[in-house]
Amino acid sequence: MQVQNPNPMTQSVPPEQCPLCAQPVPGGNRMVGEVLSCDGCSAELEVVGINPLRLEEAPEVEEDWGE
Amino acid sequence: MRKVDLVYTRVRTEEKLLLEALRRRDCAVNLVQDSGMVLSMDRQRLTEADTVLMRSMSFTRARYLATFLEMKGLRVLNSARTISLCGDKALTSAALAARGVPMPWAFVAFDEDACLEAIEKKGYPVVTKPVLGSWGRMVARLDSRTAAEGVLSTRFGTGGAQDHVALVQEYVDKPGYDLRVYVIGRAVGGLRRRSEHWVTNTARGAVPERYEVPVAHAKLAEAAAEAVGGDMVAVDLLETRGGDIYVNEINHCVEFARSIEETGVPLPDLIADYIVSGARR
Ligand SMILES: [Zn+2]
Repeated sequence: MQVQNPNPMTQSVPPEQCPLCAQPVPGGNRMVGEVLSCDGCSAELEVVGINPLRLEEAPEVEEDWGE
Repeated sequence: MRKVDLVYTRVRTEEKLLLEALRRRDCAVNLVQDSGMVLSMDRQRLTEADTVLMRSMSFTRARYLATFLEMKGLRVLNSARTISLCGDKALTSAALAARGVPMPWAFVAFDEDACLEAIEKKGYPVVTKPVLGSWGRMVARLDSRTAAEGVLSTRFGTGGAQDHVALVQEYVDKPGYDLRVYVIGRAVGGLRRRSEHWVTNTARGAVPERYEVPVAHAKLAEAAAEAVGGDMVAVDLLETRGGDIYVNEINHCVEFARSIEETGVPLPDLIADYIVSGARR
């Protein structure tokens, strides 16, 4: 499918830190858009980039999201 | 080998499990994030895939994407029609009513005074909910005229035209739980959600537990799925204390991460089997 962003296939990446509590987050096979739970502060983290791994706090529910 | 595009907003537990289940069935799965998609208005084929599993968390995006992907000749699950009907609770009610599927009585109103007058005729309590929206947000039970005036003045006094629609529904005095039946082509299992609060959403702290779906409930859920053309949906049922059973809502993007252990229903595998089968409601 033609998309603007690079294909977010699984990629092996080095570890990174939780942006909220600095707890190390394991690297390994990650995908853009993947949601992780931080072992340190239980925050929901979203993978927003790989190589290098970039993490952000997953945004709260937006306009019409979800069921 | 089936080629599947999995369209997603975020790769949550659900999407990870679906991806694994599809790959175990030798599907070539291409992950596509919804925010990056640009679809031209022509019938040009834009993917190798034959099937799209629509897992966008946004109703707006899912509806448009499914519509345009179908226009380009793809099999989209769920279909654009199903997403459009299930994503809008007033349209869900209309689709159910058209097929005579049992549901709580309901009406829509577009004006504060007209709505209040109609509620007064029916009598309290009633439930109002936004036609769009989810996880039990902004669902209100109105026990009195005072409460109704307060809620309706907010409903009609804020937001835009799309917000100025009140869906009013019979308040069903349910016995401390509600029921969810998963329909993946056919009814495949279910979940009972128990709560002290009358809004029984697992997102709002309701406790999921196992429930063996009786034949009558399975048939009702399948009729509801058929009314909206749903290939893979979660049908919420309400049981009255008198033992009547109604369809309340239908969810087109099935969430199961919080309840998969309790239900014992292997939803990712069932969904993947359905996709591989090539079936279409
Ligand atoms: Zn943390």
